[in-house]
Amino acid sequence: MKHPAVSWLILGAAVLLVVFVPILHKPEILNKERSFRVEAGDFAYTPAVLKVNPGDRVTIELISTDVVHGLYVDGYDLSVTADPGQPATLTFVADQSGVFRLRCSVACGALHPFMLGKLQVGRNMLIWQGIGMTFLALIGTLLIRKPFPVPEKQTSS
Amino acid sequence: MNEKLALVFVIVVLVGGGIAIGFGWWQGQSNIVTLHARMPETGGWIPDNLTVAANQPLDLRLTSDDVQHGFAIGQSDQPAVDINPGVVTELTLKFDQPGTYTYYCTRWCGVNHWRMRGTITVTGESVEQVVTPPLFVQIGLDIDAPHEAEFIPSSKPSAQNGENLRFELSAYQTSEYYRSHSPEQAWVDLRKDLTLAAYSDLQLWDAVAFIWQTNTSEDALSEAEELYAQNCAACHGVSGAGDGVFSDQQVPVMGEADEAFSGHEIVLPTDFTDPHHILSASPAALQGKLIRGGMGTGMPMWGVIFTEEQTWSLVSYLYSFQFKEVH
Amino acid sequence: MNLLNFPFVKQTLKNRWPQFTIMIIALAGFLLAILSGLFGTPVGSRNFGIVFVWIAWWAILMLVAVPFLGRGWCSICPIPASGEWLQRGAMLGPRGQAKGVALSASKGFGRRWPKRFRNIWLQNGSFLLVALFSTVILTQPRVTAIVLAAFLFVAIGASLIFERRAFCRYLCPVGGFIGLYSQLAPLELRVVDTAVCAAHTEKTCYTGSAEGYGCPWDVFPPGMVKNTYCGTCMECLRTCPHDNIALNIRPLGADLDEARNRKLDEAFKAFIMLGAAAVYSGVLLGPWGTLKLAAYSVGTLPWMTYVASFLTLILLALPGLFWLMVWIGKRLSGSGLPMRKLFISQSYALIPLGLTAWIAFSLSFVFANFSYVLVALSDPFGWGWNLLGTAGIAWVPWLTGLTPFLQVGVLLGGFIWAALTSRKIASEKSALGQASRLAMPVIGFCLAFTLTMMGLLVA
Repeated sequence: MKHPAVSWLILGAAVLLVVFVPILHKPEILNKERSFRVEAGDFAYTPAVLKVNPGDRVTIELISTDVVHGLYVDGYDLSVTADPGQPATLTFVADQSGVFRLRCSVACGALHPFMLGKLQVGRNMLIWQGIGMTFLALIGTLLIRKPFPVPEKQTSS
Repeated sequence: MNEKLALVFVIVVLVGGGIAIGFGWWQGQSNIVTLHARMPETGGWIPDNLTVAANQPLDLRLTSDDVQHGFAIGQSDQPAVDINPGVVTELTLKFDQPGTYTYYCTRWCGVNHWRMRGTITVTGESVEQVVTPPLFVQIGLDIDAPHEAEFIPSSKPSAQNGENLRFELSAYQTSEYYRSHSPEQAWVDLRKDLTLAAYSDLQLWDAVAFIWQTNTSEDALSEAEELYAQNCAACHGVSGAGDGVFSDQQVPVMGEADEAFSGHEIVLPTDFTDPHHILSASPAALQGKLIRGGMGTGMPMWGVIFTEEQTWSLVSYLYSFQFKEVH
Repeated sequence: MNLLNFPFVKQTLKNRWPQFTIMIIALAGFLLAILSGLFGTPVGSRNFGIVFVWIAWWAILMLVAVPFLGRGWCSICPIPASGEWLQRGAMLGPRGQAKGVALSASKGFGRRWPKRFRNIWLQNGSFLLVALFSTVILTQPRVTAIVLAAFLFVAIGASLIFERRAFCRYLCPVGGFIGLYSQLAPLELRVVDTAVCAAHTEKTCYTGSAEGYGCPWDVFPPGMVKNTYCGTCMECLRTCPHDNIALNIRPLGADLDEARNRKLDEAFKAFIMLGAAAVYSGVLLGPWGTLKLAAYSVGTLPWMTYVASFLTLILLALPGLFWLMVWIGKRLSGSGLPMRKLFISQSYALIPLGLTAWIAFSLSFVFANFSYVLVALSDPFGWGWNLLGTAGIAWVPWLTGLTPFLQVGVLLGGFIWAALTSRKIASEKSALGQASRLAMPVIGFCLAFTLTMMGLLVA
């Protein structure tokens, strides 16, 4: 490239695209009923990853298989608790898009803080933005002709 | 000078802190029993034995060292108290009758949850009480005898349909008859009854369902439904099919007493939806199993936990997996 | 900019009391963590030991202290304190005490640390040792207490047998990575003018004086070109008679430009930290219960499998892959430098990558569990106390909506930083075009690592 400024402009435009296009993207709302049977035991949810579309009505039936577990949904600030033998359900409309952690909300033993799952509503835009930005960053770092100028070391005065 | 000041500072902070902690600990100890709840595999209740005099307050500090537990006293109206991990819950109990009480865990804390029990001995002048043995003992029933129904209905009997026969069933509706006869025996008796010869086999099964229905109540069934969900469903399954989350884990071995059973197969929980099994069991037999426990299977002994009324309610609830009720 | 030009800053740092006071508070907290771990509730989320060490302290260390202050934590760390008091025969320290003596080794045996261990290989080992048991240490108050107490006793032992702070410098599992990452900090302690030092025959900064101890970290300040082994304990500030010590605000990561003193032990520290961040993100924060249980069930076959995979990944796979990348870079660029030298120097690009990976990893659980801190402060032992009235606060994850965005941002920043560092290091001894080709495969390695971390943390 003859004019570095042009390359930087193109790169800048690409960054803006990667950041803003996913935000502008409006997914189709189908308002489907989605239900999941989630088993909770041994510090894990099975299945651990729930994928729904925005606007879906989600029902999670929580089945504990060892001790009392809970399920808290980040972002939605909802939670449900189930004893073994007493399945509990949580129903909500997935009106926020993104990836939300499911966290056990009842201390269930040593690894309790790490009992995690995921609720993915719509596409995971953030990870694609992240990947896109990382590749743009790669181009950017290669575009720099001289990696930022090394300041002259003052060895003595 | 500075050095001395530093020393004083360190002593004040560390020793002062230590004394404060010790004082706090000591405060927590005075006169109050701290009852630790742990999963049965790692100790169960610690201690599992408490003693108090009748009409004296028993102050307890309940805490869990691992997962969620609960505390309740068997055969008592005292509401269950949740015990949360690392949290202290204070509770004061008072017993007016001397005797031995059982406290038990009310939240499923693993496959051995039901083994988590302890006793409170209440001392004092006791009034001699007449203890009536359970019905299965009174009528000399062998509750361990294998049973398999020969006759079963072709479809789920309906108590509502059976209600049409109510005037012809009065002899069979008594609680004595209901409790001591399995539904199959009742059906055979009805079939043999010449006054009922006009009715079809299924109509007589409806009549059996009606007999069951008249010996229970909506309140009893709804209370039992709750008790079943809390205490039974983890093994016997929410649907009664014997497919609860622990159904394949109930190893009939724990401790030396049960060593004779080691190496045996896992005994699967009873499937209440199997008519061959349940219709051939009388309420007295089911109650017997319930209060005595499964002897070497994973079935707990509920006699010290449930009141007699609760056991009858639960028994009637078990038949609801076979019969349709009146709505 | 030299912060010591502000008289207030200079007085605060030169005076022993502020540092001493913070250290005593930290020591009280440290002892409380041990006590609560031993005698308090075994439920981690309700025990001061677990909550303060692995949530509060870890958050402060990884999100604030290391990125901004480098070894700032080391300057007030309570672990070596008691050993040092015994070694010195004093708590607060000089002001005339034992005037003129080389105060660094007044009590104890005062041996020199063995020459062959004068590197951070032992620290690499001690970190790995803790890392292999980390799932248990992280969640069981008793184990945390035992580990903390062990640190304390080893530190005391080291102070009595060896001179200066041998534990901090050569053994502490935490000190190793704090030192590595302190190279990135925007703060450095250096001498103002080396000529002044050259003319100063007593070298009190190293030998000690009536004002303070000779460098406890066994560093000779005028020779210092990197933050790595400077504990920012401020003794040299106190002992320098010529006011020749500076505390400079500087560009982030300035030490990475320093081509001198790059070593294999530090390179491996970078690999260990990089691998551990990825493994923890997968094991602790991933959805795989079997992995968590394997890492937790110490002594069982699944755990040994986990340990074997962990060590293979960290000590063989990652360095091996990196070596391959450097080799490809060498072939592409036709660089005449020896492989070993290229491998070591390029691995310094992994330092910013590793720190940002650790920050991203820590963001996941620190805020989600921060509400435990208030509870543990109010009821440190889980004995039913309520000192602050906050013992009843329910667990609520904080800022979880924001964390994934922060994580992506931090990882992205780390990648850019690492890529530029790699190019910069490559250009030290190569022409521009050649340097770019040399760095390219290493940048690819950093890219793959960044995408892996993003996948583990926000996918």
